[in-house]
Amino acid sequence: MLHVKDVTIYAGTFAVNSATFRINKGEYYFLLGESGSGKSLLLEAISGTRDIQKGSIMVAGEDITHQPLNKRNVGIVFQNLALFPHKKVFKNISFSLNCRKISKKEIDFEVHQMAEKLGISKLLQRYPETLSGGEHQRVALARTLIMKPAVLLLDEPLSSLDILLKEEMVTLLKDIHQQGQTILHVTHDYHEVAQLADRISIIENGQILQTGTRLEISKAPCNRLANRISNPFL
Amino acid sequence: MIQGNRIHIFSVFMMLAGALVLLFVIAPLAGMFLHTSGSSIAEALQDTEVTHSILLTLGSAMAATLIFSLGIIPLAWLMARHTFRGKRIIQGIIDLPVVIPHSAAGIALLSVVSENAIFGKAAAGLGLSFIGTIGGVIIAMAFVSLPFLFNAARDSFESIDRRLEYAAMNLGASPAKTFFTISLPLAKNGIISGMIMMFARGMSEFGAIVIIAYYPMVTPVMIYDRFASFGLEASRPIALLFICIALIVFIIIRLFTRRRYATR
Repeated sequence: MLHVKDVTIYAGTFAVNSATFRINKGEYYFLLGESGSGKSLLLEAISGTRDIQKGSIMVAGEDITHQPLNKRNVGIVFQNLALFPHKKVFKNISFSLNCRKISKKEIDFEVHQMAEKLGISKLLQRYPETLSGGEHQRVALARTLIMKPAVLLLDEPLSSLDILLKEEMVTLLKDIHQQGQTILHVTHDYHEVAQLADRISIIENGQILQTGTRLEISKAPCNRLANRISNPFL
Repeated sequence: MIQGNRIHIFSVFMMLAGALVLLFVIAPLAGMFLHTSGSSIAEALQDTEVTHSILLTLGSAMAATLIFSLGIIPLAWLMARHTFRGKRIIQGIIDLPVVIPHSAAGIALLSVVSENAIFGKAAAGLGLSFIGTIGGVIIAMAFVSLPFLFNAARDSFESIDRRLEYAAMNLGASPAKTFFTISLPLAKNGIISGMIMMFARGMSEFGAIVIIAYYPMVTPVMIYDRFASFGLEASRPIALLFICIALIVFIIIRLFTRRRYATR
């Protein structure tokens, strides 16, 4: 579904060098690395908010390397969620549908259906500033999922949540994955990997060091973080 | 500095220094109020030349702000969102009207819009003239006041989290839709403040206008004209009237914009 091939990104003095990985359809994939490892740069490159200097990015067999941001069909949920503060939850969720000139009736139906699915039906007429952390997360997910992206990109989606909300979100992400959504999840938290990952790439200093399932990585961990995957509660 | 009910000596010093500046601003205005009789203000109000001049000044300042904002806002967005060669030079050019004497700005404009200059000739070919016309008043006002709107709009665009614009584009919005549905609404409070400042600065312009368009007479020029021809007593009621009307207009604009745009 997503093929990142030999991608090099320069960001000042830092660089991601020849990153390559492939995510299969319906897979829950993790990019695991510490802060400053280059994982967010890769996510930005896939979403189109950052240019790459070398390599290619393919989504569903289509080369999107040089496609503009609004034509890529990959949905990103930013770490700060980036809900539009001047729009009510309904308008936030329906934003992508409005861009596609869908009838008002259909937009109304789809937004209510998505809101019900994520348990946020009661929030539709509220502004983002009035929402709790968990509600923010659900609205951001709903807003991205409604566009039916080929790949859902999640930038540290659980990092700002308390432990109970985290558990709730993990369950929600599992549900979304089970419905067939392909997901690329970027994090530094190996606990999340243990709960959700099908496969993982370990990234350090701009290099992808290892790729595999949890079991494969646990057998020969390439670094401290990889070592924790096999037993996250050490 | 202020602990409980005790005020530190340093705070007292700061208050005194601030009070002197306030006094410096208030004293001339208060003096004008004290030395102007109600009857002379009423007389000025009945003088059609004065009322026409005030309306011309307010209308021209409004026109300059609205017409030029159509170019200033896009330029401010470009400067906030893009990096390109010559960006600093453009910023310097935009700020130029603030730092040059406004009479010099008038001379500079005159050398472009006079009928001997290329632009002036071209405009004359289209039946437009800027010397001694309302058009001249508008361009003189715009020239000296546009940095206020430009800088406020640029700062507003810069303060928007770029991820909001990225999120909109990621959801399928074109750059134009992103600008009109995300960037512009989020920057609107700063832009409106900038427009009010541009309007205010344009309204009070004298130096550039007096060179391009002495007539039709805007109020700052009329105040000077009456002072030069008839002295202080003749010009003071007009100045006071203009200040009061300007104040009322500002209060109305501020109230209107605050009510309409305060929260979102």
